[in-house]
Amino acid sequence: MNRVGKFLKENWLYLTVLVLLILLPHLIGWATDSSPLGVQRGDRFIMRGQSTYWQSVFIELFALAILVMSYNLMFGFTGVISFGHALFFGGGAYITGMTLEFMGLEPTLGLLVGVLLTLGICGLLGLTIGLATLRLRGVYFAIFTLAIAEMVWVFFGRFPATNGEDGLTLKSLPTFIDPTQNRIFLYYIALAAFAFTFFFIRRLVSSPTGRVFQAIRENEERAKAIGYHTLRFKLFAITVASTMAGGAGILHGILNKSARPEYLSVTHTVDALLMTIIGGVGTFVGPVLGAAGLELADVLLRDAKLTLGTTVINVGESWNFLLGLVFIVVVLVFPYGIVGTWHRWRAQRRKPK
Amino acid sequence: MTDYILQTEALRKAFGGLVAVDNVSVNITRGAMHSIIGPNGAGKTTFFNLLNGTFKPTSGRVIYKGEDITEQPMHRRIHLGIGRSFQITNIFPNLTVLENVRLAAQAISDVNFHWFRPASRYTQFERRAFEVLELVGLRDEAFYPANVLPHGGKRKLELAILLAPDPEVMLLDEPTAGMASEQVPQLMETIATIKAQGNKTIVMVEHNMNVVMGVSDRITVMNLGRVLAEGAPAEIAKNETVQRVYLGELYGDLSEAGGAHG
Repeated sequence: MNRVGKFLKENWLYLTVLVLLILLPHLIGWATDSSPLGVQRGDRFIMRGQSTYWQSVFIELFALAILVMSYNLMFGFTGVISFGHALFFGGGAYITGMTLEFMGLEPTLGLLVGVLLTLGICGLLGLTIGLATLRLRGVYFAIFTLAIAEMVWVFFGRFPATNGEDGLTLKSLPTFIDPTQNRIFLYYIALAAFAFTFFFIRRLVSSPTGRVFQAIRENEERAKAIGYHTLRFKLFAITVASTMAGGAGILHGILNKSARPEYLSVTHTVDALLMTIIGGVGTFVGPVLGAAGLELADVLLRDAKLTLGTTVINVGESWNFLLGLVFIVVVLVFPYGIVGTWHRWRAQRRKPK
Repeated sequence: MTDYILQTEALRKAFGGLVAVDNVSVNITRGAMHSIIGPNGAGKTTFFNLLNGTFKPTSGRVIYKGEDITEQPMHRRIHLGIGRSFQITNIFPNLTVLENVRLAAQAISDVNFHWFRPASRYTQFERRAFEVLELVGLRDEAFYPANVLPHGGKRKLELAILLAPDPEVMLLDEPTAGMASEQVPQLMETIATIKAQGNKTIVMVEHNMNVVMGVSDRITVMNLGRVLAEGAPAEIAKNETVQRVYLGELYGDLSEAGGAHG
């Protein structure tokens, strides 16, 4: 009883958010008088209405949040800066997509095999890249990972089997998870994956291993000097993070029913980096809030117009510019990210005189 | 026959053309306090880096309890019982004082890859950390982030991190470096307490001569990468070569120390 009580006390906020997210499709449906299942036409459902629209926004958000959390595990908690994280994100979509389309399995089995293959290959690839390059320091490692990711991006841009630039369309998705037919199921799968990743990483970073990650981030040489074989811990972090990024890529691929070269592009790595920094590097909730904030802002402000005197700025068209502006302001005002600066502000009050 | 815990045989380290440590053979007796002194650039810190495995020697061997450990990397040597503190404060700045020490205690355990149980359930490391913090006098600062400690506090933390895994050999690289002189006696008292417990061998690089003469069992004097002289503190003070090359500075310090105590 005591342990349950303690768990509830420490996690009540997260659990409340989780319950809200479980109810979200129904709440939006209720508020906007639309069905969370879409509009029925005969024995099929058409994905129309506010509820299904917001489900797709949140599925994308969960996928991004998983990507960002995995990035934060490497960058924020272990201090390993990679510019090639999109490799696993796009790779996840491609491996699952190719398994579904090319292996000729029954769709449900194909999806299962695709997911397992994706997680396995991404983890193994992360480990291999780590083994080959983690001995390189800081920026050299970052550039090397960028080079590998860009190579794969160029490759899939020209690979005829997956239609080069156009990418692979997922036609063999099992209907139960197809976002054009049964979006709410995909919503709950994505939510479950997000919640699992959240609690998994939380558990990991507070374990003895996670404490060593933070020691490596703070001062790797010192961590070695007190007896840690730091390379092993960094490999562990990069393997877990790569697997998770692969999982995020699967969700992204299924939602968009495709695997396209741009999923592999450095933009996704940079997005993950920016969201981590804006939310708070090495804080737990910060990067998730960063991902949620930027994704929701993108959706809500896409069609907004800003009038400054006689100039009308179309927010959607200037999105990258505005994002840059937000980034500069956040870095100047909250040097440790929003959540990180908040933590520091609280710690300051406990500082010795 | 004397019981040597740590020995070097003709240790040499060259960085390109610069020979920082040249043919250094030193025997360190178990349980002793052995100081290494010498002017700036004498190769003391490089010698330390060879002892704890930061660098591999260009040639020569490092022997620990009769076994050759020359090829053992730094992180393995902690597990063997050789710990080292740093001249330039080298801590985990954004972690708490407690966590700095707790991590050092955890390092020699076999739970480092337990990745799904909260670290707070492994209370033994926290207990050990508090024990050590008590000893160095940082118990009340345990929950502050390490980077807010004043310099003297960081030096104590450095010592606590070294002590946490209970090493058999402690390599102290200028433990009082940069400390205000009124804080030095307190730190040296802590070191004397550790020495009095009798189960540790302490090797100390020090600049502050007062400190060295008072507490050492044996002193090695280095100059330009070589061993200039070795002996008990009284012998070193009388040694003519040492005086000629180096002791101008030492005499100055000694007379100062005499004044302070007299």
